Amino acid sequence: MRNLTKKILTITSVLAIAIAFGIWDAQKSSVEASSHREAPLIANDPLADNTDLYAFRSPDDPSTVTILANYVPLQLPQGGPNYASFGENIRYEIHIENDGEAGDDITYRFTFMKTNQDPTTFFNIRLGQQNLKTTYIAEKSIDGGEFTTIVANGIVPPPNIGPRSITGGAGLNATDYNSLMAGAITSATEGGGETIYCGPADDPFFVDLGGIFDLGQTRAGGTGVDTPVDGVNHKNIHSIAIKVPISTLQKDGLAVTSAANILDAEFVIGVWASASRQATQTISETGGNPSNSGAWIQVSRLGMPLTNEAVIPIGDKDKWNALTPYTEDPAMEAYFCNPELGLYMDNSLFGAAVPGLEALRIQRNSLQSFDFGNTHDGLWPIRETNGGVGTALDTNAYGNYLLRQGQPRSVDLLPIFYTGVPNLAPYQLATGKNGNPLANGKPFINNFLPTFGDMLRLNMAVPITPRNDPAFSSLGLIQAAVLGLTDPAYNANADLQWIPNMDGFPNGRRLEDDVTRIELQAVGGVVLAAVGLWYDDYIAGSPNPVTTDLVSVLSYTTGIEANDTTFNSTFPYLQTPWEGYANRSKK
Amino acid sequence: MKNITSIKILSITSAVALAVVFGIWDSQKSAVQASSHREAPLIANDPLADNTDLYAFRSPDDTNTVTILANYVPLQLPQGGPNYASFGENIRYEIHIKNDAATIGDDITYRFTFTKVNEDPTTFFNIRLGQQNLKTTYTAEKSLAGGPFSTIVSNGIVPPPNIGPRSITDATVGLGATDYEELMMAAITTANGTGGETIYCGPADDPFFVDLGGIFDLGQTRAEGTGVDAPIDGVACKNIHTIAIKVPISTLQKSGLNTSSATNILDGNFVIGVWASTSRQQIRTLNGNGTETHTGNWVQVSRIGMPLTNEAVIPIGDKDKWNSLTPYNEDINMDNYFCNPELALYMDDSQFGGAVPALTALRVQSASQTILGNVDFRNGQDGLQVLEGNAALIGTALDPAIFGTYLLRANCPRSVDLLPIFYTGVPNLAPYQLATGKTDGNPLSAGKPFINNFLPTFGDMLRLNMAVPVTPRNDPAFSSLGLIQAAVLGLTDPTYNSNSNIQWIPNMDGFPNGRRLEDDVTRIELQAVGGAVLAAVGLWYDDRNIGATPLTPDLLGVLGYTTGIEKNDTTFKSTFPYVQTPWEGYGMCGTSSQTGVGINEFGLSVGAPSIGMIQNYPNPFKDNTTIKYRLTTEAKINISVYDVSGRKITTLVNQQKQAGTHEINLSSENMSNGIYYVALSTGTEVLQTIRVSVSK
Repeated sequence: MRNLTKKILTITSVLAIAIAFGIWDAQKSSVEASSHREAPLIANDPLADNTDLYAFRSPDDPSTVTILANYVPLQLPQGGPNYASFGENIRYEIHIENDGEAGDDITYRFTFMKTNQDPTTFFNIRLGQQNLKTTYIAEKSIDGGEFTTIVANGIVPPPNIGPRSITGGAGLNATDYNSLMAGAITSATEGGGETIYCGPADDPFFVDLGGIFDLGQTRAGGTGVDTPVDGVNHKNIHSIAIKVPISTLQKDGLAVTSAANILDAEFVIGVWASASRQATQTISETGGNPSNSGAWIQVSRLGMPLTNEAVIPIGDKDKWNALTPYTEDPAMEAYFCNPELGLYMDNSLFGAAVPGLEALRIQRNSLQSFDFGNTHDGLWPIRETNGGVGTALDTNAYGNYLLRQGQPRSVDLLPIFYTGVPNLAPYQLATGKNGNPLANGKPFINNFLPTFGDMLRLNMAVPITPRNDPAFSSLGLIQAAVLGLTDPAYNANADLQWIPNMDGFPNGRRLEDDVTRIELQAVGGVVLAAVGLWYDDYIAGSPNPVTTDLVSVLSYTTGIEANDTTFNSTFPYLQTPWEGYANRSKK
Repeated sequence: MKNITSIKILSITSAVALAVVFGIWDSQKSAVQASSHREAPLIANDPLADNTDLYAFRSPDDTNTVTILANYVPLQLPQGGPNYASFGENIRYEIHIKNDAATIGDDITYRFTFTKVNEDPTTFFNIRLGQQNLKTTYTAEKSLAGGPFSTIVSNGIVPPPNIGPRSITDATVGLGATDYEELMMAAITTANGTGGETIYCGPADDPFFVDLGGIFDLGQTRAEGTGVDAPIDGVACKNIHTIAIKVPISTLQKSGLNTSSATNILDGNFVIGVWASTSRQQIRTLNGNGTETHTGNWVQVSRIGMPLTNEAVIPIGDKDKWNSLTPYNEDINMDNYFCNPELALYMDDSQFGGAVPALTALRVQSASQTILGNVDFRNGQDGLQVLEGNAALIGTALDPAIFGTYLLRANCPRSVDLLPIFYTGVPNLAPYQLATGKTDGNPLSAGKPFINNFLPTFGDMLRLNMAVPVTPRNDPAFSSLGLIQAAVLGLTDPTYNSNSNIQWIPNMDGFPNGRRLEDDVTRIELQAVGGAVLAAVGLWYDDRNIGATPLTPDLLGVLGYTTGIEKNDTTFKSTFPYVQTPWEGYGMCGTSSQTGVGINEFGLSVGAPSIGMIQNYPNPFKDNTTIKYRLTTEAKINISVYDVSGRKITTLVNQQKQAGTHEINLSSENMSNGIYYVALSTGTEVLQTIRVSVSK
């Protein structure tokens, strides 16, 4: 009976997808990651610089999804006297796509205002008064319609300067900083049921910036000067956090209890965030605020982590920030199909020049047939005989979006970033495939929403992995794949089954997910391997696909695998911002 | 004879020269300032154009030149890739020189503009295979007396960010440099034309040091704190981008003279004022395709002269406006921020003194005893203005007949000290001479010269008298307290306090006479707001009675005050550009400990010991001198006396002592005439040594 259910599911999916994939032929299409100072222009405009985007089912409130869009990178907690905050004259927006038809289905817009309560002091907080005190308006638009206000006078908590400013009698006399943070959480009006926090927080991201950007020198296990360093440790960001009922986000207003199964395609949303400024800024000659006029121009955006940081090359980064997931430049699809990082994971290219990535070698001869090295053909050869009939690669049904000559990663990286991945072969685990990657296997993902642009796609129907579950892993979907391939609790059959961390990146993104590691492994071919396109050292037909190469990729790490502090168990989940007075981090 | 003659002549010459310029003072109304990272709301949002610090000092290794450094782009994280911080395009970075108060506007202007290119647009790395993205070059131009700009450097090189060994030194994948130092040295260039300038534009360690986290939490400095309360250098391990120029003094001096032509070490003809700025074109247009266009007039968006003015003197309501002004068109309404400084509210028990316990050691004089009556310098009081009409003012810098009332204003008590320090410079005239040689109780009498950086343009500039000799950086007397230390030596050290002759005193070349990289401007300015300059010229603290020792607990409290962060987190180079190599993105930075509490090395110093400080009076002495010492924490201490050969004469104290001020008598009974050293130590570390002189 359970197997029968699966059959029905598969057929339903195929029908639904056939329509959507039809668009693929008419499109040309990107891989992305966390984005601090990621493009030249926006690096010079920190207030509008969108650093990270998260979307996950709220672990303590599973009928909701929490989305966090972070801005203003690398804030030093002690960066006074004018501590970082949101900027005025900027539209900060969170965009939701839920029906596969390009164009926002829901848009949340946040705008900020600042006032000086006591212009006679150079201190930010003194005697109960705060300067640059920031409030916000939140607005919401449905299907591109008029914006309506859902929060009229939202509070942004002050910077966490130190005990004298926050709790002291000469300061704000608060109980503690957390009381200010909790006091700033508000409920939106107008029926959407959103809960909102806009304010400072610990930067939840973690990455060895100093190592990675020194030409890819990750250094797990290094000592002394070679010790990995979390380059965003003890830094703050400003977060726009919204917790939204799934029924508000789902295209038909359905709650997750209506989901047909844990991969129900009707529950996929795409999320992206942006910042826009007016086209013309005129500086005052007398130190007044600049005047702004003209059309609103998008200056920063973020969907998948690290796209514009480590996928798009510098020559196109500024342009990428100006586009939307609905207006991508097809010429940039090449950066996903032949990723620069792929050059450093291939011994015939620059593999030897980046020893930090030595554990990651892309399949050049998978199943003694397929070459996924940059500019090679990948799965293209199956096109000739339509070897993918009945699968997502069926060229009669779906065109050649996923199969392109000389663009080997059109089959994995491109859809992960631009369309989401359907629950169809070949995008099922090798479990149950009996050695044929194009056969049906065990389902593990369905976040397919084919709008052909960079978004963070989340299937809201997938159950939550509790944060205290021993199986919870920062490897996200990679860990789910590993369990589905190797753990007897999950690899005994090809049934649809909840596997821990199926709710992890790239199916949405949880705060804990180690997206740097996951994306490096993905560029290194691990998704291909998971679906049965094993590494070169696996001989087709052998019983054990867990070869030395696969173990090497799975155990690859940058050495920075977790945030430098904990997360809160309730909304907004982010940790209290680091205090200026106490911060003694060196880098 | 020599003494009297030279002082008299100097004073008269100065007075005549000054009378002319001081005439302007009446028609002007006028600001105190300090280092300026993220100091005003608007510029905090535009880091590329944010001017953080300005330095000007005679080059220690090339004393015929002055080095000026203007720093930009604050708080750069060394690991801040993939698009590491650098100078911005479409910005005019300028260094302005004023050398003649009689001319209008800049006498020399240096302008720097930057251009970036991507050598390999196909990678997201900054450096790869010998190619560099966002590779930055610059043009330097120079204008004299507001004339047209001529190019003095074209195609100048800005070194790349110090990303890490693979990017910088690896010959296969990176640039293949020998080391980062090689790139930095190769970027130093000599200007065209006759000016003789040497120039470096590029990244460097931020030479500034300050406990940002403590100070901006409502003034919570914490020199003696431990654990969470230990002081932290908030700019440790951060880089800046510096524009450094080394200029022959003869290029800067208004008549083209070298210092060999100076009539003395305080020659008023060798004073320059320096300030730096950035400007942007007024209109920025976003083109919607990831590019932007800049048009319109150039508008100044950042400036700096004296350190910390716009950070801790100008209140937030006027900070953005202050950045738009120049030293030639200051808003006279802002004079009041210097005359009644906000910081003084926190150094005054009748105001908010009780609310900022960290500044307890600093109390502005409320009743400084003089033979002319008590003087009150607290905010809102009249200060020396109470002497208006008093004959004692005649012939001094406060003589209204000559100089107007710029310096004497009712309800503006600091118009006599902070205002001129920031806005005009300080002339070598009474009352701006040390108390040494003055009639006790009369600060208006002639004393020992210690400063002349007077250039009365009524605006905020860093003013340097280039004639003042350099204190070698390895001189034991070198001190980060700058002119405050020179004043202390001139008041207390027998080498300098035996007469009122003009005499070189170590650190007369220190802030606020210019600014050296080592100068602890935060501490100096806090002490100055606390009235230290007033005390140095004989307007002593409230607890000093005429005729008694001036080394009162109040004075010792002020001199011993420290923020706990007294020096940069790394060294300086001994040659141009003096700032240290930028921190590397890949590497570690410093040690695990973050505290910067300095312990003075053995040598003459009233630096800021972490535990205690020592001073004596009188000095020289005949029979007895009183040694006062102040401990900030209970400690076992040792005070011993040594002769010049290092032989111990006697031990005065060797026991556990409570925090607070203590005193002990030193008798000359068993000492012959000559110089001796008194050392305060913990038994293992010498905290401070003073020089005393016996003259029977």
